[in-house]
Parts: sequence; C-alpha cells; structure tokens
Amino acid sequence: MAVETTRVELCGRLADACGPFVDLTLPVEGLPVPELISILRERFPALQDGLSKGRIRACINETIVPNEAIIRPGDTVALFPPVSGG
Amino acid sequence: MSCQVELTEAGFDPAARLATFSASLGDEGAVVSFTGRARGKAKDGNAVGALVLETYRGVTLASMQAIAGDAHERFAITHSHVVHRAGRILPGEAIVFVATASPHRRAAFEAADYLMDRLKTEAVFWKREEHGDGASWIEPTAQDQKDTVRWLQSEGEENARN
Repeated sequence: MAVETTRVELCGRLADACGPFVDLTLPVEGLPVPELISILRERFPALQDGLSKGRIRACINETIVPNEAIIRPGDTVALFPPVSGG
Repeated sequence: MSCQVELTEAGFDPAARLATFSASLGDEGAVVSFTGRARGKAKDGNAVGALVLETYRGVTLASMQAIAGDAHERFAITHSHVVHRAGRILPGEAIVFVATASPHRRAAFEAADYLMDRLKTEAVFWKREEHGDGASWIEPTAQDQKDTVRWLQSEGEENARN
C-alpha cells in the first residue's frame, strides 16, 4: 500500500533550522496539533529549539486552528511562530 | 461604506493612496491616516540593510481583512483602506498604510490606532531585519502585545456597561 507523506511548511524563524518544509507520515486517523509538534521535535532535533520557544500555532488548509484540531494525511499543514506585521 | 485591504510586494506611495482615499469620500468630516516606514537602524543601533516580510498563502490577506472588518464593526467609520507590503523593503520605504474616515474625528482616530495595534500582533507576517552579519527575526514586543490587549479590555468594559 502506498504511504502518503504529509508536507509540513515551517514559517518564519522555524525555517532556519532545517529549511521551509519537512515531510512526515501521519496515521490515517490523524493527530492533534501538540502530538504533531512532539513528533517533529523527536524526528528533527534541529527544530527542538524553535518549536519550544514561544507559542506555535498550526494552520490546516489555510485556516489557523486550535490545538485540539486534528491534522490528517493530505492536509495542507503549516506551523506559525508568533506573527508580526506593521 | 468601503473597506479596502491590499497586500503588495511592490512599493507604494502613501501620499497618493491618501489622496485617492480622500477623493472617494462623501460628506465625512474626519480622515486619519498612518504610514509605517522601515527604519535604517535596529533597536541595538546597528544599521539595517533591509526588512523582509514573509507571508503565508491566502492566510495573510485573510488576517488583514478580518482585522479591518472588526474595525468597521467596532467604530463608526464609513471607509477604510489598509495597504501592507510583503517581501524586501528598504529603509525609508513604507511598510504599512492605514486610512480611516468617519463623520466625526474620534472614530477615525481610534479605528486607525486599533488597526495598527492588531496588524502589529495578529496579521500573519514574519519579519526579519537583514544586517551586515546576517539577519534577525523581529517578533512583537511586550509593548505591542499590551497595545493590542487594551482594546480587548476596553471592549470588555463596553460590554459590561451595555
């Protein structure tokens, strides 16, 4: 069976450690946001620092979601460090 | 009523935007505008070569539109115009422009202030300063957060009064 990988886009300073994208295989039933972040910290130790500093928010299919949201294979996923306009 | 929000990679002329905005108005008695410009010096006094603003897909523009929509809901303004740059911005160039119009001055002043406070802390941008020996990410300061929170507090007080 083909395994679908989900690409997670790392925005802002999160991209400094290992580039703007990382690929992950997610369980078909999906994962809540904090679990996705833990897995990323485990698999990409370079991200440890960036993901533990400040509040990280997830964006699924172009909507910023609360932590309880479930990320499923095939979703367009991005992680946002604190934003700053103006 | 009009609420015009624009995200642009190209430089723009705030004076020309204000002139167009003012020309579009009817009988409003008050027009307020604010322009934010890229500084040539960082907080530590070192020279900044450029400011780079990153965005994310449609989410950045949507976040600006939501903030502008909230300003119209909250203040008695009739027109607003918000322009925000993305990409590489040189010192002295405009990063952000906000204009508001209302029948009387208070609403226009407050709405422009509110728009800027929320754009600083909630619009989906990531900002870094490029300098001689690399780049530094700029995140909202404690003061920026405080400036945004005061609107939430005053909204709570208004609701409690009503």
